Amino acid sequence: MTSKTTRSILYWAILSPLMVVILFPFGVMFVTAVRPRAELFTYPPTWGFSEFRWENFSEMWVKTNFGGALLNSLYVSISATVVALVLSIPAAYAMSRYRFAGKGAYRTFLLMTQMMSPIVLVLGLFRLMMALGLVNDLNSLVLTYAAFNMAFTIWMLQSYFNSIPRDLEEAAWMDGASHLTSLVRIFLPLAVPAMVVTAIFTFINSWNEFVLALTMMRSSEDFTLPVQIYAQVAGRYQVEWHHVMAATVLATVPVAIVFSWLQRYLIRGMALGAVK
Amino acid sequence: MANRIQKSVPLMMILPGLALAVAIIGYPIFDLAWTSLQDVSRFGKLTGFNGGENYAEVFGDPLFWESLWRTGIWTLAVVLGTLAISMPVAMILNDDFYGRGLARVIIMLPWAISLTMTAVVWRWALNGRAGLLNATLMNAGIIDQPIEWLATASTAFVVEILVGILVSIPFTTTILLGGLSSMPQDAYEAAVVDGASGWHQFRYITLPLMKPFINIAIVLNVIYVFNSLPIIWVMTEGGPANGTDILVTYLYKLAFRFGQLGKASAISLIMFFVLLAFTMLYVALVSRNDRDDAAPEEEV
Repeated sequence: MTSKTTRSILYWAILSPLMVVILFPFGVMFVTAVRPRAELFTYPPTWGFSEFRWENFSEMWVKTNFGGALLNSLYVSISATVVALVLSIPAAYAMSRYRFAGKGAYRTFLLMTQMMSPIVLVLGLFRLMMALGLVNDLNSLVLTYAAFNMAFTIWMLQSYFNSIPRDLEEAAWMDGASHLTSLVRIFLPLAVPAMVVTAIFTFINSWNEFVLALTMMRSSEDFTLPVQIYAQVAGRYQVEWHHVMAATVLATVPVAIVFSWLQRYLIRGMALGAVK
Repeated sequence: MANRIQKSVPLMMILPGLALAVAIIGYPIFDLAWTSLQDVSRFGKLTGFNGGENYAEVFGDPLFWESLWRTGIWTLAVVLGTLAISMPVAMILNDDFYGRGLARVIIMLPWAISLTMTAVVWRWALNGRAGLLNATLMNAGIIDQPIEWLATASTAFVVEILVGILVSIPFTTTILLGGLSSMPQDAYEAAVVDGASGWHQFRYITLPLMKPFINIAIVLNVIYVFNSLPIIWVMTEGGPANGTDILVTYLYKLAFRFGQLGKASAISLIMFFVLLAFTMLYVALVSRNDRDDAAPEEEV
């Protein structure tokens, strides 16, 4: 046996208990989502079940108003991402390409807002949205998600913008292009991958947000997915767990796949905006 | 003139985003500070200053102190537990072995799922009658009766801490991996030549060089964990009988269940200052690593 093989066996053995615990909830989710309702509360509890009931998913879709919550989540996440990016791109460009008075203070401000958590401000935010008449309005979430994500998007974009060589723009200026032309024709096309990755992470953050959605959305037709699923569980005598798990599968799996695929890019912006 | 326009360009680019951040993140802080000094009706109407009575009420409330104490335990246990597991995991993932790509994907999975959903699934998995954790433990012969995991506060709190650790591992491992991958290899080679054992290499080379990354992982985790609501809120809502309340769940109940807005804003403000202190610590740590901000950053 080569030493790499021995090492691999040893490492997998060390990691396996942790992996079992990590994969356990996924197993619970899938096994419950496809199990007949009558077998939810069998005694003694067991992993096994008699048949795969895929109809659980379609039943759940109708009974829990999954479609409505899905549309709300899509609207909020897409709008918040667009607002955050439109405001962050120029700011990140300025951070990457210019020296200006107050740049250091602005960096500190960004770090501060990045660390600020919605829950600490939730009461103040609720009062603010009351005053603006935006409670029960999905746009309150669009504004808050955009604001809370902006520090992250600016870091992320700035670190990519820094890696686009300045020479390209300078060469364009030499050839007589204006700053605006060089920005639109040369810089922005090169920055598209960075913007796409940043947009996806902002989307996922907004998609997953719970506290603000729980607070601002008071009527069930305005619920986003996390609140909708939480509402199926909290304060009920009879929880339809097979529906809840089916909804959880649909709400998380697509996002989880995209996230796992792009996760290696995340390090650039998250927290490590400044750690090199 | 042209020069002045030139100079204002970057400010104009920053301004719109700054305005939104000040309105959404800055304004509520002032509103909370203002509210916390007044009598407030259930419906949020301010009815005059009461000279710090809200704060006196908070500090005279045993539930506040219990929640504060539990917040301390929650934060300390989750942050240290996470670090203790993430360090060896990061060192393994930094080494070369068969199936490393797959191992990374699995270890990072909890990060890809929202805390709310994770907590909903665990709430079901821990169900006292039919939960599949009980099924697994009974099959394995570890227990012979189902356990009501979430029915008593002390067990529920321990379980919540373990879930908290589980979901914090991916982020922490990622930060530590970032540090490990930038380690100078020649230091290890020199140590091997000098006959240093594995433990000595870890103790005298890895650990000191990793210190800045460990510090940042600790401070960031403290910030995230100390005000994380979803796990505890979804699994037990701070119950049974306030037995798993931490400051954020207690704050949320005061504000949105009991309508004690003056008291709730006082707690919010106290938490804001704790958060601010840790954030300043973080800013200090980060700026130590990063003095020259004009220089283009290197590839990560």
